[in-house]
Amino acid sequence: MPREETITAAPSGAAAPAPDTRSSRFESLGAYLPPHVLPTSALVDRVAGVPGLELERITGVRERRVYDRRPEAGEDSYGLALKAARDCLANSRYEAGELDVVVSSSITRFKNRDRFHFEPSLATMLAGELGAHAAITFDVSNACAGMMTGVYVLDRMIRAGVVRNGLVVSGEQATKVAETAAAEITDSYDPQFASLSVGDSGVAVLLDESADAADRIHYIELMTCSEHSDLCLGMPSDRTQGIALYTDNRKMHREDRLRLWPAFHGDLLAKLGRTFEQEEFDYIVQHQVGTRFIAFVNRTGEAEFGTPMPESLAVVEEFGNTATTAHFLALHQHLRAGTARRGAKFLLVPAASGVVAGALSATITSAGV
Amino acid sequence: MTTVITAAALATPPAHDPDPSPVRLAARAARDCTAAAGVSPDSIGVLVNVGVYRESNLFEPAMAAMVQKAAGINLDYLVRPAPAAGFSFDLMNGACGVLGAVHVAQCLLHTGTTDRVLITAADVHPCGDATRDAAYPYADLGAALLLERSAEPGAGFGRVRQRNANGRAGTAGYLDTAAMGREGRSRITVTRDADWGVRLVDLATGLVTDHAREEGLDLDRTLVVTSRAAPGFREQLAERLGLDPAAVLAPESPGGPGEPHTAAPVLGYLRAVGADGGLPDAYDRLLFVSVGAGLSGACAVYRPQGR
Repeated sequence: MPREETITAAPSGAAAPAPDTRSSRFESLGAYLPPHVLPTSALVDRVAGVPGLELERITGVRERRVYDRRPEAGEDSYGLALKAARDCLANSRYEAGELDVVVSSSITRFKNRDRFHFEPSLATMLAGELGAHAAITFDVSNACAGMMTGVYVLDRMIRAGVVRNGLVVSGEQATKVAETAAAEITDSYDPQFASLSVGDSGVAVLLDESADAADRIHYIELMTCSEHSDLCLGMPSDRTQGIALYTDNRKMHREDRLRLWPAFHGDLLAKLGRTFEQEEFDYIVQHQVGTRFIAFVNRTGEAEFGTPMPESLAVVEEFGNTATTAHFLALHQHLRAGTARRGAKFLLVPAASGVVAGALSATITSAGV
Repeated sequence: MTTVITAAALATPPAHDPDPSPVRLAARAARDCTAAAGVSPDSIGVLVNVGVYRESNLFEPAMAAMVQKAAGINLDYLVRPAPAAGFSFDLMNGACGVLGAVHVAQCLLHTGTTDRVLITAADVHPCGDATRDAAYPYADLGAALLLERSAEPGAGFGRVRQRNANGRAGTAGYLDTAAMGREGRSRITVTRDADWGVRLVDLATGLVTDHAREEGLDLDRTLVVTSRAAPGFREQLAERLGLDPAAVLAPESPGGPGEPHTAAPVLGYLRAVGADGGLPDAYDRLLFVSVGAGLSGACAVYRPQGR
């Protein structure tokens, strides 16, 4: 490499970060679920390569929502995100024109039905259609931790005083990978097996500055252990026309991978001089991979932290694994139904390919849903 | 407290590489940055990858996770818990990715989330070789920037201004999954409106003019670093801003045909500053200007340290 291609300049002096005086909060949440329900039994009937597949018993997913193919339904990734953003804004004190940031974080990036867009950012197009003309826009992509990553970035932008508020939105036309899996898999150990548990959705959250510790994101910390970044790969299939997700399930969900969260979260709490028990979480929301997975991660947390886990909120039986939206869909549905109490303290635990682990701690009191 | 560039590097595909990969290009540039700065890869707290075009049109995991692995950052926290506990994600905003990531990095550094942010920007045609697709306009090229805090008054990045033009996207890059057959891993379509170049010049001109006015910027002492966003873009932008064309830098890709895409700001930075990281005598500062699909635009002033 020519010498001029790398340049370095030593920092002139280590500067301390600014004192952390601001916090963010969940101001509102919104969701859109396609009306069409696909029971697991009906999906299993389409998996010609594996007759009698016990999908519901293995995953706990009873049914999922599936997008409407008709263009007028507006249920591609972009359309699902747009509807969720509009629902969130309807639940918010803010108008679209008041938004400082719009972040889109979907894995599936379909717009105009079948076009998988790499640029422009979906956020730019969404902001334009919503009328958020003053907003900074960009997409984040981080597998199933996408929305969590969007919230992490927006939280830091609000805490730095660079913006006052912002919208993190994701529309997931996830069942596109289920269609490919149904057409291609030949046994229950197939790397596309996990694709059969996904569901479609759009979810949006609006964050602004917190003025009250009883309505605040206390912390959101994320980490990527990159050694295992190749355990779950999404790309077009080379066997049929469709997009596919290939997951090494055995390695992905091995116990030591699940110990990443308690190890990382435990170290974080130790630095703060606290214990998990002292955090007094009222609810925990795991990634909605399946009922067994959720129970297993909670048992792992219980064993590692040496204390019972809080009440676990789930939506996976009804909506499947909705990828980036899963944690926030669970929050939205339970807050809306009243099965999660306002003023309670929530712990959201991501588990995404990368491998991404972490913890989001928030007290949610006044959020519009 | 400001955000400064402590290392920058480019990576071009090695000659005769049968399978160039944006992950390998980004990781090579990342490793060159950490080596040049004399810091351990495990000291990187956040890696933000902003590349758009990628091998096999991969959409999961984040390309950043794979770059992180190839750059040797926080491989396994259970085996070797790195104090910085590196985190990575992709930030996608077309040509404006690097400046968008700088905007985020300023917040990450300001809040003490991390002491070091590594930005990587690499684009490679999904088939692995841009020269095999005459309709694809971009070069296979990778780059990285290492950002840290500095206490030096006046140094580093100023405010990042981002703005979108309402209306049509101007240019877009997508995979048409209804027409890809079994070739989806190697295909990509890039479209451009007839007037996209004119609109890009309009957007960039407005952005720079407003930024100069609101930030009290003397453009006469400013070296503009931009990309070859459309044919004649550099010359037209210079003319609209009333600048000597030599004061607007938009280097060609060193890695073969096609225009630099997300890596363009790093390429421009490396061409603008000397081996000592300083600017030519005629200039006090750089003004990064990126415009592209959306239409989206971003700009920010940068003053090297010790100047």
